[in-house]
Amino acid sequence: MKNIFTTLILITLCALVSINASAQSSASELSVKDIVQQSNLATVYAGNDGRAQARMLIVDKQGRKQMRQFTILRRNIEKGGDQQFLLVFSRPSDVAKTSFLVEKHPGKDDDRWLYLPGLDLLKRIAAGDKRTSFVGSTFFYEDISGRDINADNYQLIAQDEKQWLLKATPKDSASVEFAYYQVSIDKQTMLPIKAEYFDSGNEMYRRLSVRKTAMVQGLPTVTEMKAENLRDGSFTINQMRGIEYDVGLPQNIFSERSLRMPPKKWLKGR
Amino acid sequence: MAMKHRLMEWSLDHPKRIFWLTGLLCILALAMFPRISVDTDPENMLPHEHPVRVLHEEIKHRFGLSDMVVLGIVNEQHDQGIYNARSLWKLSQLSAAALAMEGVIDDDLMSLAESDNITQGKNGEIAFNWMMRTAPVDDESAQLIAQWVERLPLLNNTLVSADQKAAAIYIPIVAKDQSYRIYQELLAAIEQLPAGDEQFHITGLPVAEDTFGVEMFKQMAVSAPAAGLLIFILMLFFFRSVPLVTAPMIVAMATVIITMGAMIGMGFPVHIMSSMIPIFLMPIAVVDSVHILSEFNDHYRPGMDKKALAAKVVNNLFQPMLFTSVTSMVGFASLNTADIPPVRVFGSFVAIGIGVAFLLSITLVPAYMSSLSDQTLASMAKRVHSDEKPNSLLARFLRLLPNFTSSFRLLIVLVATGGLLLSGLGISKININDNPMNWFEPEHPIRNADRVLNSHFAGTYEAYLSFSAPASDAENGSKLREILARSPEKIQTEFADLQLAGEDLATALFDKQMAASDEELLWWDELSLALDNAGEEQRLFLQSEYLNYLEKVQAALMANGYVGKTNGLVDLLKTVNRELHGGQAEHYRLPATAEAAAQAILTFQGSHRPGDIWHFVTPDYRSSLIWLQLKSGDNQDMSAVLESMDKWFVDNPPPKGLEINWSGLTYINVAWQDAMVSGMLQSLLSSFVIVALMMMFLFRSVIWGLIAMLPLTLTISLIYGLIGFTGKNYDMPVAVLSALTLGMSIDFAIHFIERCRALMKEYGNWQETLQAMFEEPGRAISRNAIVIALGFTPLLLAPLVPYQTVGLFLASIMAISCISSLLLLPSVISFARKILFKSSEQSA
Repeated sequence: MKNIFTTLILITLCALVSINASAQSSASELSVKDIVQQSNLATVYAGNDGRAQARMLIVDKQGRKQMRQFTILRRNIEKGGDQQFLLVFSRPSDVAKTSFLVEKHPGKDDDRWLYLPGLDLLKRIAAGDKRTSFVGSTFFYEDISGRDINADNYQLIAQDEKQWLLKATPKDSASVEFAYYQVSIDKQTMLPIKAEYFDSGNEMYRRLSVRKTAMVQGLPTVTEMKAENLRDGSFTINQMRGIEYDVGLPQNIFSERSLRMPPKKWLKGR
Repeated sequence: MAMKHRLMEWSLDHPKRIFWLTGLLCILALAMFPRISVDTDPENMLPHEHPVRVLHEEIKHRFGLSDMVVLGIVNEQHDQGIYNARSLWKLSQLSAAALAMEGVIDDDLMSLAESDNITQGKNGEIAFNWMMRTAPVDDESAQLIAQWVERLPLLNNTLVSADQKAAAIYIPIVAKDQSYRIYQELLAAIEQLPAGDEQFHITGLPVAEDTFGVEMFKQMAVSAPAAGLLIFILMLFFFRSVPLVTAPMIVAMATVIITMGAMIGMGFPVHIMSSMIPIFLMPIAVVDSVHILSEFNDHYRPGMDKKALAAKVVNNLFQPMLFTSVTSMVGFASLNTADIPPVRVFGSFVAIGIGVAFLLSITLVPAYMSSLSDQTLASMAKRVHSDEKPNSLLARFLRLLPNFTSSFRLLIVLVATGGLLLSGLGISKININDNPMNWFEPEHPIRNADRVLNSHFAGTYEAYLSFSAPASDAENGSKLREILARSPEKIQTEFADLQLAGEDLATALFDKQMAASDEELLWWDELSLALDNAGEEQRLFLQSEYLNYLEKVQAALMANGYVGKTNGLVDLLKTVNRELHGGQAEHYRLPATAEAAAQAILTFQGSHRPGDIWHFVTPDYRSSLIWLQLKSGDNQDMSAVLESMDKWFVDNPPPKGLEINWSGLTYINVAWQDAMVSGMLQSLLSSFVIVALMMMFLFRSVIWGLIAMLPLTLTISLIYGLIGFTGKNYDMPVAVLSALTLGMSIDFAIHFIERCRALMKEYGNWQETLQAMFEEPGRAISRNAIVIALGFTPLLLAPLVPYQTVGLFLASIMAISCISSLLLLPSVISFARKILFKSSEQSA
């Protein structure tokens, strides 16, 4: 027993030291491009694959609440490159078994499919604009799948002991609704902590913020996020539970077949 | 009467103090003026707590609706109408400008530039794309937008007209009282655009209402002083003496200032109604002093004791003046019986003003007269007497009347009776209608915009028809109990607490789920799911039965001919369903099951404007709303819609438990108009009875009392009969004028009868009395009528229709009640003189 403890402490210490070391080196040496790349990997590509039970509490401007629950499966084809996602809804009950399949191709259009069991309809969703609402929440599709890091020009505008503050300006401003956004990235975890979106009048109208993080299988992980529409006060909280990495998800479950027949075995957590 | 004498004597003895006191009161009142607040919102015609308003506010909140300013862009020149690169560029510029404005609710702004297009992608995908995130580069791509819009029923004929010549931007605003500013900012933004074929129009009830308030102020600043000036000139014509005529002018000014100061000081906002108080008070305030002046003038001879004469004149006139004032006060105070706050404020303060005018007339006027130098009075009397006594046109004309009324008394009575009957017919034809848009002159830009846009679009006036079921009571007790029974004690207690707290259980469980530890989450998830499952049949507006009913309602609304277009959940669901199924027209129908509907909605929520759906249905799907676009804001058109739907609902009752509610500004206007019409009728009837009783008391005779009511009965009937025949709408200003008619036309009758009885006592025979009646008393009555009638002609030049109406009607009321008093009263009295003057004629 005592041994196990000692080992755990040792591992933790080592981990801390190594993270510290990387943080220190990054502070002095990391270029903006490196920061963005590392942060992207930490946020969207953790592990080779992953699974989580997501709960979205959507609160509208009148304060009314709705809940969406879904399981999300993710598989990296290439770190920092293509990924596969399968989302299967369980709540509210009348959209249960509705599912989304996404083949993400950073820098190109994603392939997206949708299955609606109530209509027994499998439908492709057009590529293109990723800044549409994610199932009626305050999050955009892109907030969930991860925005292409090459879509914006980044600029380091401030930093302190703990965080970098980057300003991101879109390369193609016609394709987005913001003029620019500012993102704070935690130096230790490389996770983005907050993103603030500004319109052409320099007014902040939208904010994403990380409310909770945890170490999952040694990987820093965002477990709760909030997206706010600052214009009308509506917001959505996205909570991830039962997060697991390196589950061993096979490639073939990311298929049209799984949309119609969700792979139960892989949806349930351990 | 001791009070009266003391007051008059004191004021005659201390004229300076009276002047100082009046001046002080005026300064005090003027000091209140900067605290003025304006309220031109016709919604406030109903009290805040009126059920219609409470519901309207509740529905606005429930569906996240806002009042809208409508900006229209019309292009009649281009082959492709509005769908050309240039016009659409202007539209996107204006749309962006509106978004940048303070007080605009960005997320709900509707314009092509902010709309989502639901369509088929290249490979048969469902696609949500901005309709025109940036303006199209050429006319060809502009034409593409036309094809898209045509497929989207929620946009077609709402954002772009069916004839494709006009596009609209619906600008939701946080509060109606910002709309004039936003209107001005939009005009400035339009000004900045390069010239072209486009015409720009801005309309919407909020703009009309707020703009009215702004123009009302200008009007107050121009009309009231203009009326005052004209009255001054007319009086000068009759009395030929500036110092003399100054007295009634001071009374009028002081009355208006003190009354308005008191009203503002007491914190009442100046509403459309109360802005007319000065205009109403001025003639009434002048009337009493004109009587005093007339009499003083007629009796003054150089060398007379002016103080004694002033006292005598006021004493003689005290009774009729008191009664005319009190009856007018009753007439206006009776407006308090209507449950319309601005009308009450108006009635009360006009009544107070009349009281002030009366007090000033019996104190300030005699004090002023007697403090004039003998010289001034002498020269004045000389001018008047040399010129008017025997020979003025008015005097000569009036002298014809005694013979005329004697010879033709039967004819006069018959004509009056005929007029009364005819009026009855006219009154039955009265068209009760109002529309704040019509408060502007036909050429006003706002009214023009209203006309142009409604000729292109399905309608810029909105009303809402909503259906709602009470909050879900689904608890699925047995399933929940079963889960709870096997749950840990901590869960059981916390669940019991939730139930006790009495909040929505489903929502409370969401919060528990979010906050729970991983172990407890299992239980909360299970409980929440059980409730969710049980709630499925509670989500009414996903179910076919309910959706089909909404579809029928929309068809019925379109069938009655007054509704330009309806927008609702059904249209949205059908559109999404069509695009999910490949876009062919045959799939433009409702999803078959609740699940299908819910999933179609989930799909729609992947668009750029997922919140738009919550304008049509609540997230619990227990309440749904249909947005009606009406081409006309006329209350009678809205009423016609209500009436036809009431009938339809009888034959087609909604599925069980659904409540039907109307709301929206156009509907609110109908509601307050109803309150206005019934309220005014009620107050007119009640004040008629009270005034009749007062007349009987004043003359200590039932029959005299009834005779006194004749001229005003005839006047009111003729006026409203005339409204019926000319087809002029019975609207807000017309409704309020009934009180004015009552208050003003009784005055002439009181003076006439009072003097008539006094003269009868003096002469003892009817012929001489009649002759004498048409000397000084007849002249006083006619002068008053002329001064007031002509004094308000400046109102006819006002650009705001309610002021024109008031001006026109004041003139007509004065003319008719003067003529009917001077002709009808002597004729009737002559018929009934045996009974009326029993004692006088016998003693003679």
